[in-house]
Amino acid sequence: MANKYKYSFALHSAWNYQNEVEELDKYSENGWQLVKAALFHRKYVKNEKIRYRYQLDFRRIEDKGRYIETFREQGWEYVDSTINGWHYFRKIYDPSLPEEEYEIFTDRESFNAMKKNWARIALVIAIFGGIMALIYGIKLIMVPSVPFLLLFLTFLIEFSVLFRGVLIMRAKESKRKRNRYRDSVLITVFFLTIILGTSSGIFLSGKRPNITVNRIPEANEESVNNERIADFEVKYPDNYFLDLGIESKDPMTFEVVNENGESVYKVTDTSFHEDDIRLNLKKGTYYFSMSCDTYYNLNCNIN
Amino acid sequence: MKKSEPLSESYYYILLCLAKGANHGYGIMQMTEELSKGDVKIGSGTMYGATSNMMKKGWIREIVSDGAGFERRRQYQLTDSGRDILRAEIKRLKRMLENAEEV
Repeated sequence: MANKYKYSFALHSAWNYQNEVEELDKYSENGWQLVKAALFHRKYVKNEKIRYRYQLDFRRIEDKGRYIETFREQGWEYVDSTINGWHYFRKIYDPSLPEEEYEIFTDRESFNAMKKNWARIALVIAIFGGIMALIYGIKLIMVPSVPFLLLFLTFLIEFSVLFRGVLIMRAKESKRKRNRYRDSVLITVFFLTIILGTSSGIFLSGKRPNITVNRIPEANEESVNNERIADFEVKYPDNYFLDLGIESKDPMTFEVVNENGESVYKVTDTSFHEDDIRLNLKKGTYYFSMSCDTYYNLNCNIN
Repeated sequence: MKKSEPLSESYYYILLCLAKGANHGYGIMQMTEELSKGDVKIGSGTMYGATSNMMKKGWIREIVSDGAGFERRRQYQLTDSGRDILRAEIKRLKRMLENAEEV
């Protein structure tokens, strides 16, 4: 007879991990026994003849053999571990046994140590998010654009949610009310936000034009008049930043022109050097144009 | 010797259960329950954390028995420094009890 399998995809926050334990107990009661536990999903097999109670432990294991044996000695069967360090154990449920038989932490010190273990690792990740948020926050102030805003917000959310988790896990007493149903939804939204935020931030920054033009003087260069020197495409409306350097004997006119032939930026000078000139551009095709009677030297870049 | 922190109940009972000789985790757990008449229990998570920590501190060591016919089994053994820690803790507890009686 083929085994019947079932999957569940609910995410849980570490600080509400007891929700997951209760969920696993519920599944077991309904005849679905855990066989595999991963970060984002769990796999169960149908077996109505048995009922288990579950417990989760978080730690970095140095000696897996000793670890599993220590649990087995007290009737705990090791089921699986997630990649980030949660270990799943179960014990056959016997209603005649006292409830404390289904606890793996019997003093506050060891329970707090386990939670602090998680908090220590999460704090490193939270701080990384905090530093990234700071970097993108500074970039956002200096060169305000959509990708930087997305990345800034994403890392800010990552930092705040994880840091809050760290504070909860480090708190000595956990008399907080657990929000049984909302937690799973919030954590799913959190993960999606992180994934969507970073990927769209990276995607949008890759879609920006990155055109560099370097014109150096050649002997007896002819004068140019409204020469179209480079085309570029703006794929989404945003601020774009122009670095421009002009050195010429006679005044040179440099322009950024849109597809209707309208000038969106214009400068006429013999010597001009400026970085990060902010241009608010709509979606469309643009080009650089220049006019000069004599010898010139032009460097420009837009991104 | 530097004045040490009081031991947690679990640490204390684990060391105490090893005072008369090596024992495995389950033996420690049972002996603790017997000694404390069921008041103190040492769950698996607590046991693993405490034994790992005390091995790191050098208070206990792991020995693996592989005698013929027996299941290969890990046991814990008290080290000299573990014995010192236990003695110091017992002394501290005695003093506290004596003080209580004086008051």
